[in-house]
Amino acid sequence: MSQGSVILKIISLPISIILICLGIMTILGGHITPGGGFQGGAMIASGIILSILVYGLGNSPLELSHTYIEVLESIGALGFVIFGLIGLFVGGFYLYNFGTDLLNVVPAAIQNVFHYPDVTNAGIIPYLNIFVGLKVFVGLSSIVIAFAGFKKIVEETE
Amino acid sequence: MMLSLGPIIFGLILGLVIGSQIKPNIGDAKFTLASFVAILIAGIIIAWQAGNYPFYTGLPISFAFLSALIGILVGILLFSRRK
Repeated sequence: MSQGSVILKIISLPISIILICLGIMTILGGHITPGGGFQGGAMIASGIILSILVYGLGNSPLELSHTYIEVLESIGALGFVIFGLIGLFVGGFYLYNFGTDLLNVVPAAIQNVFHYPDVTNAGIIPYLNIFVGLKVFVGLSSIVIAFAGFKKIVEETE
Repeated sequence: MMLSLGPIIFGLILGLVIGSQIKPNIGDAKFTLASFVAILIAGIIIAWQAGNYPFYTGLPISFAFLSALIGILVGILLFSRRK
């Protein structure tokens, strides 16, 4: 599956790392700029996919283990649900933004803990972006890893 | 000068989480410390070109990008495994 070119093998990992950094930057700017969790996660996954396509499955320097994918996928889904439930219990609505608290119904201590530290008053939105980004990143990566694995199995059986 | 802690902290964490999976010396890939210094310099140039994205205050450099890059490099140094 891997490509033979030496130039590709030299340049792919640095480009993958830069793509991952751009993806993280997109995730972290999701609450005030275009982009967010899904787009950033897709950009991070594109870095992983580039690496797997060039080096091949099993030889790639950027390869995710099964446990790692499981853990990050679970953190992404559970984090989103837990933040939604905290909003339900302290504010009265599912996914209520208890970090900003526009309705003044959340205790100040909870609001201070979950307030995202930046110049905007975004509350929990950046955290939700991060959870969605993690889930999309491992989700898209695992699809490509599975396809590459299936292709490897087919090539070996033929 | 205003410095937002959010993108720096979470950029480092996300970079560390993803950088922990990078194994620089496996198969055909041979990356030394000098390679990562080159990547860091290229990353600083890209962060400078990105401007103060995503928070339009403070220094004209993207701290989210830079902290993610530093997190990835620290993750490689701390957790890179050999097969």
